[in-house]
Amino acid sequence: MSHTVSSGCRRLGASGRSAARFAIATQHFANKIAFSWLVALIGATGCSAGELAVTVVDRLGQGVSEAVVTVAPAVPRAYRQSAATAIMDQRDLAFTPRVLVVAVGTSVEFPNNDTVSHQVYSFSEAKHFQLPLYKGVRHPPITFEHEGLVVLGCNIHDEMVGYIYVTDAPFFGKTDSGGMLNLQELPGGDYRISVWSPIIADPSQTLIHNVHVDQHETTTSRIQLIRELRARPEPRPRRTDWAY
Amino acid sequence: MEARRYAACLMAILWAGFATADDQLNVVGAFDVRWVHSAGELSYLDGGLGTLRFDPDHEGLRLGRAFMASRLRLSDIVTLHTVVDAYGDHDRNPVDLSEFWVDVRPFPTNAIRWRARVGAFHMPVSLENRGAGWSDVYSITPSALNTWLGEEFRTIGAELEVRWLGASSGYLGDVALIAAAYAWNDPAGALIADRGFAITDRPSTLFGGLGRPPITFYHEMDRKPGYYAGLTWRRHDRLEIRALRYDNRADPGASTAAGGGAWRTRFSSFGARLEPTTRWTFIAQYIDGDTAIGAESLGYDQFLMRYHAAFGLASLEWGRERLTARFDSFGTHQLRGFFGPPSNETAHAWTAAWTHDFDDHWQLVTEWIRVLSRFPPRSLFAQPSSLPETQTQISARYRFQFGGRAWGLIGGLQNN
Repeated sequence: MSHTVSSGCRRLGASGRSAARFAIATQHFANKIAFSWLVALIGATGCSAGELAVTVVDRLGQGVSEAVVTVAPAVPRAYRQSAATAIMDQRDLAFTPRVLVVAVGTSVEFPNNDTVSHQVYSFSEAKHFQLPLYKGVRHPPITFEHEGLVVLGCNIHDEMVGYIYVTDAPFFGKTDSGGMLNLQELPGGDYRISVWSPIIADPSQTLIHNVHVDQHETTTSRIQLIRELRARPEPRPRRTDWAY
Repeated sequence: MEARRYAACLMAILWAGFATADDQLNVVGAFDVRWVHSAGELSYLDGGLGTLRFDPDHEGLRLGRAFMASRLRLSDIVTLHTVVDAYGDHDRNPVDLSEFWVDVRPFPTNAIRWRARVGAFHMPVSLENRGAGWSDVYSITPSALNTWLGEEFRTIGAELEVRWLGASSGYLGDVALIAAAYAWNDPAGALIADRGFAITDRPSTLFGGLGRPPITFYHEMDRKPGYYAGLTWRRHDRLEIRALRYDNRADPGASTAAGGGAWRTRFSSFGARLEPTTRWTFIAQYIDGDTAIGAESLGYDQFLMRYHAAFGLASLEWGRERLTARFDSFGTHQLRGFFGPPSNETAHAWTAAWTHDFDDHWQLVTEWIRVLSRFPPRSLFAQPSSLPETQTQISARYRFQFGGRAWGLIGGLQNN
């Protein structure tokens, strides 16, 4: 099935590609329009598509929010990336959002909306970078060219930790407060679902699930964790403390 | 006078720097004016043996503290920190430096991050004094333990920190090893031997003195550097545990021409701060050590005193309010030497504080402290050795910050 969709879409060419250029895979829109060129191609030809509803729950069945879910075809295929931008803000001595998921090739801005200066860095394998001490929007965006997890820190405030999950999967997003994520316009076929969150302690191999998505249908996938969640690392608001 | 000139020069430099980019220089400052009511004996700051900052002869409307703490960025990884203080008492320097250090913090290129501080700064022990300028964010007055560290100790030297940053390995926390070498801390111990512990928010400044006659603290007498080494474990921003061993390695036989002597002072310190929810904070700290003066050859005539101090603190914050309660226990025990009645202090204290933030600048803090202490040297002043002391303060604080709000959700911990 995936082969059929893929070859069908290949015939479409320019109209789909140009539509894709309008895609902006910011965090807010990532669920719906990541790899929107593919979506656009399918729509343009009437390619039928399915929907995938993923739910991530903990050991007790409670939804796990802000978990990164990526969905890639079981048979790897080459996808074209659209240039996208995203924002990793800094507010109240925390990275906002705490976890950002972006496609490979996305450029991310790091504005500092705190009253204090920050000094953002990452030494993760997927991306090394350093932004010298600043407030406001002082530095040009950083482009994340490689897949992988990028752990962010602030050299002034060690308690600040943020994550950018860079993926080459065509569909991705984060779960809502109920632990759910709906991905639409998936071509029918076999897919591999991966789940990640800084608070999930399960071994990574158990967080990969295979699923078959049927055309015209909503496929559901419920992923239950086997280990207890780690403590959620939200920073504590500190009204009466005071830094500079 | 020399210190005044230093302070004036620094202020000029800071103000000149303020004209530059807003993230080049960050300045926060505050002043607080208080109404004080006191029931107890004359404070040691005024020549008595009272353990509190104010006394019945010094109450009413008082200046608590005015300070300015600045950070000047010299390069991407080098910053200059300065804290200038005024306490409105009879210290010989009305305005003085409390801290002055250069912080070198290279960007981490792996999970190990190095950091160095060179200059004069507080050692990383207090878990209460986490505000700018080493201010206590839970009440007005820190515990007896941290009061003493503010009075007699300043690291005048260099400190190196090696921190393992756990986030990259999936661990939400970090571990740091800290070591420092310093000089000009040979008199540390004189105050606790003379007076025992105190509970005040009147730390020493670098060039000033405390008490009457004033004791000054930052002298080098034996040309032997001291050290401290410690360990910090932090579990994201909810739990912090610190341990530190301090030894000023002073030669207790050394003295200056002016008559001051070196005190060999050592201690071990442990502390934990737990913030299990967004509202509650719990802190416990403990210190145990000894101090000695007089050449080793004096044998039993050498003055040697052990001391310990501990406290537990619980603080609840909601909205614009914070309530804090603290119990202090502290004491000294003279083991050798004879300087009149033994300096054996046995004491405990209760502190209750309520802070209310009116806005980003104004804060009202009400604090009540009661100390019950037994200290035999009071008999020299024809006083009973056991005395209760009570102090109530209502402080109006104004805080400011150049380049942004003075407070609010600024947070952030001073890494000291």
